[in-house]
Amino acid sequence: MSEAPDLMHADVSRLEDIVDKSALAEVCRSFFELFSIPIRVFSRDGALLADAHETRAICTYVNTLSGGRLACSALVGEVKNLDPEGTVEHPCFTGAIYRVVPIQYQGRRLGRFVVGPYFPAELRRVPGSLLVIDDGIDGEKARRALGEMPRVREETAKRLSDHLTRILDLIIFSGHRSFLTSEMHVASVRESFRALAEKNAALQEAYDKLRELDRLKSNFLATVSHELRTPLTSIIGYSDMLATGIAGELNEEQAEFVDTIRGKGDHLLALISSLLDLGKLEQGKLSLSLVHIDVPALIEEVAKTLAPAAAKREVQIRTSVDGSLPIVKADPVRLRQVLFNLTENAVKFSPRLGTVTLSVRGTEVDADGEGDGMGLVLLAAPKNALELSVSDQGPGIAAEEHAKIFDAFYQVDGSSTREHGGTGLGLSIVKRLVDAHGGSVWVESEVGKGTTFRFTILEADED
Amino acid sequence: MQLDFKARELTIKLVYYGPALSGKTTNLQSIHQLVAGDVAGRLMTLETKDDRTLFFDLLPLTLSSEKGLQVRVKLFTVPGQVIHNATRRLVLQGADGVAFIADSQRSETKSNASSFVNLRQNLAENGIDPAAMPLVIQFNKRDLPEIRTDAEIDALAARGKEPVFKASAIRGVGVLETLLGLMENTWRHLEATHQLEEKFGVRTEPLLAEMRTHLGVKTDPAPEARR
Ligand SMILES: Nc1nc2c(ncn2[C@@H]2O[C@H](COP(=O)(O)OP(=O)(O)OP(=O)(O)O)[C@@H](O)[C@H]2O)c(=O)[nH]1
Ligand SMILES: [Mg+2]
Repeated sequence: MSEAPDLMHADVSRLEDIVDKSALAEVCRSFFELFSIPIRVFSRDGALLADAHETRAICTYVNTLSGGRLACSALVGEVKNLDPEGTVEHPCFTGAIYRVVPIQYQGRRLGRFVVGPYFPAELRRVPGSLLVIDDGIDGEKARRALGEMPRVREETAKRLSDHLTRILDLIIFSGHRSFLTSEMHVASVRESFRALAEKNAALQEAYDKLRELDRLKSNFLATVSHELRTPLTSIIGYSDMLATGIAGELNEEQAEFVDTIRGKGDHLLALISSLLDLGKLEQGKLSLSLVHIDVPALIEEVAKTLAPAAAKREVQIRTSVDGSLPIVKADPVRLRQVLFNLTENAVKFSPRLGTVTLSVRGTEVDADGEGDGMGLVLLAAPKNALELSVSDQGPGIAAEEHAKIFDAFYQVDGSSTREHGGTGLGLSIVKRLVDAHGGSVWVESEVGKGTTFRFTILEADED
Repeated sequence: MQLDFKARELTIKLVYYGPALSGKTTNLQSIHQLVAGDVAGRLMTLETKDDRTLFFDLLPLTLSSEKGLQVRVKLFTVPGQVIHNATRRLVLQGADGVAFIADSQRSETKSNASSFVNLRQNLAENGIDPAAMPLVIQFNKRDLPEIRTDAEIDALAARGKEPVFKASAIRGVGVLETLLGLMENTWRHLEATHQLEEKFGVRTEPLLAEMRTHLGVKTDPAPEARR
């Protein structure tokens, strides 16, 4: 049976693998019955695949003579071993001819068929080569035996073998097709099974890993929150109590110190919470539960939540919804977190009496596939998307900082952290959350001209 | 690719990939009609159901070149329907080049893209780096209304990596250009990876010119085919 490479190129290396032997035999037999010319089909390595002949009187006669017998078997051997590139006519010492025709299929020689022996109609006399084959040869007997041989004109022989070539090609073609069909049936089933088994194993492995990871993560989170947060809450609690004067009236300086302890404590608590968030995102273990989102309602709600904090700084928060919006799916908690972070930042950096604007509109983006340019023409179909933005009238960010601000712990300038508070993690969390939604986030800003953060979320697929 | 030094024979496998009904089989049928009988063999169609390919179609081409090198090119189509993925991956095995047949109709944009993603996945699963696979893209069915415009395709094609052809396979337009573009890409890739010139003494340019003649493509095919 042929191996996989043959299936891969749908190639035939051996005629006997694909050809329907009984169809071949039948064709040869009917050819012989029609024209009384013997025919044999050989594979490339010389195996006889079909054979339709009757022993000729001349052959029988020649084989009664010892010299004839020798010459005959030598000749038959020669003919059997011929593997020509093109048709050859091989003469027998009797004057008869064997016509050897290669069998080509899909640009490859797969074997040959041999038509004959037949006697060329053009030949009139008993050839000398026959008469010298054995001393005991009887010329008259030989002539009579030769007379029983079918006589074929060269042109007819050519037409017959061309015809046979076409029939054989059809037999090989249909044999090849049914061979490939059954091989493909088996191979497809095997391949489906292999793919399924592989997927199962991968799933099992992923499941085991996830369970282990989950266990580790819960341990880690529990430890961190217990070991860090608990003492911190006490620190904050006790400084609170100190500040209220429970433990005795504080002088001005003491009150200020306690206030600082309290402020730093709060800051540390926020930092720890952000780190826990970031850690989750970093592991890529963030699971989003995507649902349809009412985005106008969401920005309204974020604006309302932050309004008191903004009012303290005499900053106003405005919202704007532009036209009709594509339907998107997102994780409501995470999307809210993104908007909240950006808006909180914007408020923080706003000047007194400034305005922060939250807006949303529909847009189109080029989804560039995996970004290596391969198949771009197919993948980069423009897609509908939702674009959300948060603008402030703050100090702005210099162009060279734009790429870096989404890195964890990056601060535009060291002083602003201290001045404005914040952990330096907010924007990196924003970026990771937007990435997790398959969207992108960027900043548009110039020093002195305020800052706008924009991010997009692709329209949900219909299904 | 299969090399037989003794027989001076080289077999190249080219696969027509793409979403269901994009016209892969039709491409092969057109090539079969357009290319001379001594070059193209019989078109073999393995198992179809309602004209949808279940296993593959196969069109063998035989080109003998200078220096007596026999170049056998086997064109395969895959079944485009999503469910036949195992078969698709199987047919893709051993491919030397891929022609991605996309359906130009606007409504098919998404299924073109997901079929392309599927191509990349299947290549990767077969252990092939998709970026290393010679590839051309054909936007078929240019004769239909509601198709992605020339301008749109040209703009994207200029940004993309692979040659993009436009065709109407059913009318035989653009199919030979696509095939030749793929042959060129594939041959150059094989030449670079297997040093065919060194091994066979076959120079690339004359060979490609010869292929062009064999396939009856008269002009030098620029990757912006006719409409
Ligand atoms: N109008 C138009 N129709 C085409 C063209 N090419 C193919 N079609 C038609 O699209 C339909 C699908 O063509 P096929 O060649 O069978 O598609 P396929 O890609 O082989 O499909 P699968 O075997 O299912 O993967 C047929 O009805 C074709 O006649 C074209 O250039 N123009
Ligand atoms: Mg098909």
